[in-house]
Order: sequence, then C-alpha cells, then structure tokens
Amino acid sequence: MHDDNHPSTATGARGAAVPHSNEAELEFKALLDAAVDAIIVIDHRGHIEQFSLSSERIFGYSAAEVIGQNVDVLMPKPYQAEHNAYMDRYQATGEARIIGIGREVKARRKDGSVFSCELAVGKVQGVVPPRYVGFIRDITLRKLADERLRRSESELRLAQQLANLGNYVEHIDRSEPDYHSPQLCRILGLDATDLTFSLRDLLTRLAHPADREKLNEAFADLASPAGAFDCEYRVVLGDGTTRYLHHIAQVTRDAHGTALKHIGTVHDVTDRRQSEDEARQLQERLTHFSRLSTMGEMAAGLAHEINQPLSAIATYAQACQRFVRSPTRDDADVLEALEQISVQALRAGEVIRRLRNFVKNREVKREPVDCNRLLDDLRTLAETDARLHNVRLRIDAAAGLPTVYADPIQLQQVVLNLVRNAIDAMSEMPESRREVVLSTVIRAEGEIEIIVADRGSGLAPEATEHLFNPFFTTKSGGTGLGLAISRSIVRAHGGRLWHTPNEVSGARFHFTLPASPASKGE
Amino acid sequence: MIKEIKPTVFVVDDDAAVRDSLRMLLKSVGLPVEVFESGQEFLDADRDDRPGCLVLDIRMPGMSGLELQVKLNERHSILPIIFITGHGDVPMAVEAMQAGAVDFIQKPFRDQDLLDRINQALEKDAGSRRMLAERNMIRKRLESLTPREKEVLDLVVAGKANKVIAGDLNLSQRTVEIHRARVMEKMEAHSLAHLVRMVLEVERTDD
Repeated sequence: MHDDNHPSTATGARGAAVPHSNEAELEFKALLDAAVDAIIVIDHRGHIEQFSLSSERIFGYSAAEVIGQNVDVLMPKPYQAEHNAYMDRYQATGEARIIGIGREVKARRKDGSVFSCELAVGKVQGVVPPRYVGFIRDITLRKLADERLRRSESELRLAQQLANLGNYVEHIDRSEPDYHSPQLCRILGLDATDLTFSLRDLLTRLAHPADREKLNEAFADLASPAGAFDCEYRVVLGDGTTRYLHHIAQVTRDAHGTALKHIGTVHDVTDRRQSEDEARQLQERLTHFSRLSTMGEMAAGLAHEINQPLSAIATYAQACQRFVRSPTRDDADVLEALEQISVQALRAGEVIRRLRNFVKNREVKREPVDCNRLLDDLRTLAETDARLHNVRLRIDAAAGLPTVYADPIQLQQVVLNLVRNAIDAMSEMPESRREVVLSTVIRAEGEIEIIVADRGSGLAPEATEHLFNPFFTTKSGGTGLGLAISRSIVRAHGGRLWHTPNEVSGARFHFTLPASPASKGE
Repeated sequence: MIKEIKPTVFVVDDDAAVRDSLRMLLKSVGLPVEVFESGQEFLDADRDDRPGCLVLDIRMPGMSGLELQVKLNERHSILPIIFITGHGDVPMAVEAMQAGAVDFIQKPFRDQDLLDRINQALEKDAGSRRMLAERNMIRKRLESLTPREKEVLDLVVAGKANKVIAGDLNLSQRTVEIHRARVMEKMEAHSLAHLVRMVLEVERTDD
C-alpha cells in the first residue's frame, strides 16, 4: 500500500489510475452513474478525471467539457483559491482539511449560478500519485426547506402573539419534554424560563373561583374516552387581572388506545368578551329604558287603573264607618264592605306587581312560555291604556299553541309596544272602529306567530321605510326606540318582525318565534 | 203630595267595585240607590224622568259619561248630574259643566264631599220639579179659560186698564170686569201682580 505521507512526484500520465481491466472500468462507471450524488475523481493536481452522470446533471457540464480541467471551475470565487491552497498544503504536509470530514460548501454550475452543497472527499488508496474522490450533494432544496421551516416558526410565533393564542403539548407518560409556547406563557403571566409546570395544576390554581368547577369538569371530559376539552373560563393572574380564556384540547392515543399526550390551544378572548359584555349591557340598558318609556306613555292609564280600586276602597271604608255608627246597623253590610276592601286592595296590588315586574331592571332569563297565557297576563297592563283611549282589546288565541323558549318580560315588552302603537294609531278614528285584535297562530314550520292588528289609517309609505330605524318616530312624545328594540328582541329569540296592511284599513304587525323543541310535536 | 216617588240616586259606572262601593255608601246613609253599568243600560231603564240625581263616571268604554249627558239633554231630562272624574280629566269636566252638569268630583273622594253634592243635587231636582209642577198647574188653569177670557187676560197682563180693554175688544166695561173676575178666579190669582207673574213664568219657558 502506498504511504499517504510520502510526497509523490508528478509522473503519472492522465488515465494512469484507470483500472486496467475493461470490465472493472465498466462496473466502476456504472457505479458512478447510478449514484444520486455527484461523484468526481481528481488527480493530485486537482485535474478532473471522472465526472459522473449525476455530476453532469447537477453542474450542467458534460464530462467531456470538464475532464482534464482543474476542479476549481466548479467552485465560486473565494473557494477556488482556498481549494488550491488546501491541495498544496495537503501535498506538502499531509494535513487534511476536508478528507474524511465532509462539510457544507458552495459550488458553481456551468451557467455561473452558485448553490449550496455537502462535500465529502476520500483519497483513493493504493495509487501513486494519489487521487481523490469527491461526493457532492445538492442541498439547495433542503436549505430552502430549512429556511421555510425557520420562517414559518417565526411566523407562527408572531401569529400566536397577534392572536393572543398559545399552544402546548403535554406528554402524559413523560417520554418527551412538554412544550408550552412562549405566547401561552405570556398569556398566563409566566416567566418564559419557567416552563416546567403542569398546565392543569397551574390553571386550577389560577381559575376564577366561579369557573373552577366548570374547568374541573372540562378536564374530566378530557380524561373520558371522548377525550375532548372545550371550555371558556376566567383566570385571575398574579397581578390581579382577570383574563377570559377559550381553551381547546385533545388527547392523542396509540393503537391500543392508551393516551399519549394532550395537545391544546389557549386563546385569550378577554378583549372580545369585555366588548361583548359592554355591548350586551348597553343593549339591556336600552331595552330597559324603552320599557320604562313605554310605561311612561301609559302612566295616565296606569294611574287610572290603580285609582279605581283605591277609590272603591275609600268609599267602602266610609260606608263601613256609617254602618257601624248607625243604630240600626246590619253586620252583613259591614262584612260585605270589609270583604270588598280586601279584594280591591289586592286588585290594586296586582296592578302594581305587574307594573313592577315589567319595569324592573333584571337579568334576561329564558324559559318555556305559553304565549296565550302571556297575552292574558299582559291584558291588565294593556287594557289600562286601551280603556283610557276608549279602545277595545280582543284576544284571539289559537288552541294547542306550542310553548316558546323566551324571556317572558321581553316578549311582553314587544307585544305591549305594538299594542301601544296600535292604540295611538286609532286616536283619530271614530270610537266604533277603535279595536285592537291580538291573535296567536300556529305556523307550519314549527313556529308560532303573534299578530297585533289595528283599524287606524294604516302606515304611510314614507313611514314604513324608516319604521325600524332607531329614533324614528311619528309620535310627538315618542323615543323612536320601541320598534327598533322590539325587532332586536324578536331577532334575539330567533324570530322575525314585520308588518302588513290590515284588511279594509289599519296595520298588522306580525312576529314569529320558534316553538320550543320539546313542544313542537304537540 | 208632589213627592209620591222618593228621590233616588242613580249611579252609572263601568267599574263594578266603584259602582258597588257607591251603592253601599248611599245605602249607609239611607238614600235609595240604583246602579247601572253603562249609559245604555240607564237609558233603557227609563229612569231619567224620576226624581233624584245621577252620579256618572265620565270615562267609560262604549258610551262615555259625556255622551250619556248629551242623550239625556236630548230627552229633556232635568236629572241633575254629578260627574265622577279621574286624574287629569279636568278638560272633560269643564265640557260636562258647560253642558249643564251640576258638579263633578274627583276620585278618590271623601264620602261627605260626595254626599253634600248629592244632597245639593237632590234639592235642586226637587226645586226644579216643584217649579215644573207649578208651571203645569198654571198651564192647566190657562187652558180652562174661554177664548174671550184669554183675550182679556192678555190685555190685563199687558197692563191695560178695563176701559181701554173694553174699547179694544168692543165690549162694555162691565162685561170686561166680569171676564176679569172670572180670570182671577180660574187662575187662582191673589192679586194682579200674582196673575202677571204666573203668566210670565209660563210664557218664558214656552218660547
């Protein structure tokens, strides 16, 4: 075997190292050509002796073009000079910079373009002067993929930061370290260096007391066979701020169904929740305000309605006093008057109770509502106003009406508002025409419909256009909120509100409500 | 003699409790009372020529108190009306007074206030009825006069002396004196002044 360290002289003619056997040469060529990596053989001066098929493909040169040339034609500028220096040093000292090591370098194609490649160099054993084999792998695509990966990671981080969304992976069997994204740590107010924690323990500790149970249930769901977690809850951070988190997680399992890890996202939805809360509160205040102003419009009628039993009570009581003082008194008269006093006191109380229920600022609460009963309950309030304006109120109730799932006070508000409008619409009409008909109808599509019909002069075309716009009113004392709010209440209940002309004259306002699922079949 | 029928307080109110409490109050002071729940019911009962007074709710569905008042005026009813009003019904009350109501009272009221008003109304009604009865009596007496006696009466009331009347009617003064004495007798007049007052009373209301 030839000694590597022995400097050789430049005696060998080109091709001296080519295997003598023709068959071996063919085999060697086939081997070179089959390789994916470019394979180039150079002599001790750096001249190319073999140039494989894949080399031709990678560099764009044909073998005939480069064989015999210095290999530095395949290198871009700074590498050219360096390479020649390496060769010289290696020849002189045997100090290897690349042989047996392999490294990433730049190479140059025939068209002058430069690309990244991985280069491994080996020395052909047993020939003098020495020859070298270079294996070159084009890593342009891999570099590109690496670059893309790096970029997408940083984009993901940015996206998480912008969306205020954190993610994590926790390995149940601790086979791998858990991952908690930096944004997750930021959301939870954690130091990014302190990443060794159990999310469940941490969240249970931070959860708002009112939401703790909900959170525990969600974690229990995660442990169940379904293995899903979707929960919105509040946490109170170390600095005392409250955040609203929307947390979704899933369990991944192996083929045997053993839970391996939890993968989840935590979305900080505080801003959205807070603005939703504010919007809802505003809407509720407006709804309440509108209810109050409806009551304000009805004040005269209500005063009358309360005044009636009060004056009856006063008169009964005064009659009582006279009966008692009378020498010929009959206890039956006294008892009758006293009984009536209590009946009338309850009657006045009932009006006030309904009034209070209606105007109370309260939480919106949905429950199954029988609309026929609702209209009946409403009668006390609606009739006070109707009587005052000499309007008759008729209720046409459909039998077997399914219940709806709704807030009863808000529905009363809608109906009362429509009844008030109907009454106002007829103020100029002769008394014989002044009638409001409230009817309930069962619709085929699992809906019920409530209709408030008047016999006024109907709606002017220019009024219908703006009818549902807030602050649009045709009444001198109106707020213009009634219909706008009525429509938003009906919509919030999944229904529609619209109007049609009444037969002969006047207007009909309709609204639908979906029947409660349980009672649809009735 | 005139008060064969006891005056009755008629109450018309659509609110059963108000109606019934008024019935009891009036019963407690021993006043005859009849209650009606609508103006139409009262009209149908034909009570408007009875002595008494009407306590009427101004605000009722169907026929309002004011509308009933108009109908009663059309029927020449003299029944005094006390309107019961609620809060804020002052304009309606004014209208009622202009149409001849005697009074109005706002709910709720003190019993004595209402009873005072009722008593005043009953007194007024009794007075009106007395006056009416008197007028009817005068009319009957006038109807009993012969055409000649009527002519003499007209001229006497016009302030003419017997001599002038005799000249106007182409009668002897003596004949005029006899007719005049018959007139005074038939009219049951105590004096010439009394006779004149009676005739004017009837003429004033017959126009």
